Amino acid sequence: MDPSESSDPTRPFDATGVPTGVDLPAAETAVDADTGEGELERTIGLVGALAIGVGTMVGAGIFVFPGLAAARAGPAASLSFAIGAGVALLVALPTAELATAMPQSGGGYVYVSRALGTGAGAVVGLGLWLGLVFASAFYLVGLGSYAGQVLVELGVSLSVQPAVPLGVAFGVVLTALSLFGTENTATVQNAIVVLLVGILTLFLTYGSLDALGVFGTETTPERFFPPGGTLAVVQTAAFVFTSYLGFAQIATVAGDVESPGRTLPLAMVGSVVTVGGLYVVAIFVATSAFGSARLGAFGETAMVEVARAFIGLPGAIAIVVAGLLATLSSANASILSGSRMVYAVSRDGLIPETASRINVRYGTPHVALGLAGVPIVALTATGRVGLLAEVASVLHLVMYGLTCVALIRFRRERPGWYDPSFRCPAGTAVAGGGALASFGLVGFMQPASIAVGTAVMIAAYGWYRAYASDVDLEGERA
Amino acid sequence: MTETPEPPADPEPTILVPIDVHGEAVLPSGTAALLANARVVLLGYHEIPEQTATEQAREQLGEPAMATLERLGETLTDAGVTVETRLVFTHEATTTIDRIIYEHDCLAVLLANAVPHVENVLLAVRGLVGLDRNTALVAGLFADRGTDVTVYHGRDADEPVAEARGVVTETERALVDRGVEPDAIETVVEETDEPVAAIAQQAADHDVVVMGETNPSVTTVVFGMPADRVAEEFQGPVLVVQRPRPET
Repeated sequence: MDPSESSDPTRPFDATGVPTGVDLPAAETAVDADTGEGELERTIGLVGALAIGVGTMVGAGIFVFPGLAAARAGPAASLSFAIGAGVALLVALPTAELATAMPQSGGGYVYVSRALGTGAGAVVGLGLWLGLVFASAFYLVGLGSYAGQVLVELGVSLSVQPAVPLGVAFGVVLTALSLFGTENTATVQNAIVVLLVGILTLFLTYGSLDALGVFGTETTPERFFPPGGTLAVVQTAAFVFTSYLGFAQIATVAGDVESPGRTLPLAMVGSVVTVGGLYVVAIFVATSAFGSARLGAFGETAMVEVARAFIGLPGAIAIVVAGLLATLSSANASILSGSRMVYAVSRDGLIPETASRINVRYGTPHVALGLAGVPIVALTATGRVGLLAEVASVLHLVMYGLTCVALIRFRRERPGWYDPSFRCPAGTAVAGGGALASFGLVGFMQPASIAVGTAVMIAAYGWYRAYASDVDLEGERA
Repeated sequence: MTETPEPPADPEPTILVPIDVHGEAVLPSGTAALLANARVVLLGYHEIPEQTATEQAREQLGEPAMATLERLGETLTDAGVTVETRLVFTHEATTTIDRIIYEHDCLAVLLANAVPHVENVLLAVRGLVGLDRNTALVAGLFADRGTDVTVYHGRDADEPVAEARGVVTETERALVDRGVEPDAIETVVEETDEPVAAIAQQAADHDVVVMGETNPSVTTVVFGMPADRVAEEFQGPVLVVQRPRPET
C-alpha cells in the first residue's frame, strides 16, 4: 500500500531543493510572491476558512446520515461519528502542515505527487477528482430529498420519489451557475454557515435537554450497542465518513488564505471538532426521540421528523430549510473543489492542458467545471446514496493515508524548499496514526464500495502509464 | 507639463490609480497631466470569480495583463510621472485596493475619468478632520500650476453657518500655508440634505473633484460609496483622500 517503498533509489530529493525533473514555470515556485506576472491576493480569513470546512461537511452528517446510521448502529452511531472525527483529526494536522508548505490548488494531490511520485499522485489526483464527483452526487441526492420534503410539507403528493430527479435538476443548475455566475458569493456562504450552525446549536441544545429529561418527556430507551456489536459501530464509522470530507477542502484554497500558518491548522482542526460535536449530539438527540428502526425508515430526512417530535411544525420547517442550505452548500463546495482538482492535475500535465483553460468571457474554468459537473449529474441519477457516499470516502481515505505518508517522507528527506509555517506536533507519530487509521477504515467499507474505489484508482494509474508516464513530480518543488 | 520649475511646497503625494486590466484597459485621457506632480502607484487588478483559482488565472492571463499594465505605465512615465506598478489577481478588488493603499501609504485614490484640462479643482470638505491630508494633496498636486481651487462645504440644517464658514476658511488658510495662491482660492458653503448630489452639481463647473473617503455602512452598501456616486454623476476624475492607516 505504501508506494514510497517502491520509489526510485536514486533519491530525487536533493539538498538544495532544486527540481530534478521538468522545469516548472516560475509561477509555481511560490504562490503568493510576485513573479513578474502578478501577485495573488489572499482574501479568505479564519471565518471564511472555517465556513468552507464546516459548510462542506455539515450537510452530510446532520442532514443525510442520522437515520441511515442509526439503522445500522443504533445509539452507538454517536460513537461511529466520534471515531470518524478522530480519524479526521489525525489527518487534519499533517494536512495543515503540508498545506502551509505547499499552499496551492489541489491539496492532497500536490503533497502526494511531490512526496511519492507521479504514479501515486495520479491515483490521488484523478481519484480525488472522481471522489469529489461521488461526494457531490451524494450531497445532491440529499439535497433532492430535502427539496422533496418541502413538497411533502406543502401537501403535494407525488407518485414517484422526487429525491433523485430533483437532485439531478439541482446538479444541472449548480453546474450552470458555477460556469456563468461571476458574482462572488463568499459572504453569502459564510452567512449561511453561521446561520446553520446557529439553528443546529439551538435545536440540539433543546433536544439534548429534553432527551436528558429536563422537560419531563419520556425518551425511547434502547440498548446502546447494536446487535452487530463493535464491528457494526466501526463499519458505520466507515459508512458515515463522508461527513468528514470537508476539512481537506480548506487545503485546496490554501493559496487564498490570510496568515496560513495560523489560519489553516485552526480552520482544519476547528471545523472537524465543530461538526464532530454536532454529529455526536445529533445522533444522541435523534435516537432519544425515536427507535433506530423508526429513524432508519425515515431515511435521509430523519432529522426533520426528530425536529417535529421535539418542536412541532416550526422545528420541522427550520430543519428542512437548514437541510436545503446545508446540502446545497456541500454540493456546491464539492463541485468547485472537483474543478480545482482538474486544474491541479492539468497544470502538472497529467491530463491535457485544455482542461484548465479559463473562459475569456466569464473568467471561469469552464472545461474543468464541465468535467466535474457532467459526471456528478450522471452519478446523481443512479440515486445509490450509500454506494456514492462510501466510494467517495474510500477515495478520500486513500488520499488521506497517502498524505500522512507524504508528511513522513518530507520530514525525513527535508528538501530545501520544504518550509512549513505550521509544524504538526509529534508529526511522524500523528501522521503514522493517521495513515493507519485511514487505510484501516477503508477495510470496513462494503465490498462493492471498495471494488468501485479500487477500479477508479486502477483506471487512474492506467491513465498515468498511458498518458503521463514521462511526467516526474517526485521531489519537485511545489 | 513634464518639468516643474520649482519643487512643490509638499513632497509629491502618492496616488493610487487602480485599473481593471481585464480586456482592453486604457487610462482615461488627461490622467497623466492630472497626476504630473504625483508619485503614482499604478495597480492593475484582475478580479476573478471564486470558481477560478487565482494561480490558474495568473498562469493563463498573467502575461497579457502584465503587458497591458506596462503599456499603461508607459503613458504615465512618458509624461514624466514617477510610476510604480503592481499587478494583482484577486477574488475581491476592494481588499486588494485597500492593501495596496496601506502598503504604499497612499494619500489618495484616483477614480479615473477623462479630463481635457485641469484649470479648476473642487475640494469638498466635511469638516476639519482630514484638513492636513486634504490640503497636502491639493497643494502637492496643484499649487505650482496656477490651478483654481474651490473649497466647498455642504452643511446640513443642524450645523450653524458660522461653524461651516469656519471649516472653509480654516481649509483656505491651510492651503495658503502650503503654497496655494490666495487669489486662486474660492470658498462656497451651502445648505444641503443630499451631500452627494450637491457635490456632483458643484463639480459640473470643475475639472477635478477632491473629497474624503467614507466609512462603509448600511447606506454605503445600499447606495454605494459617495465618491463612486460623485464620479458616476460627474463623469470626471475624483481623487479620494484616504485616512491615515493605523501603524502595525
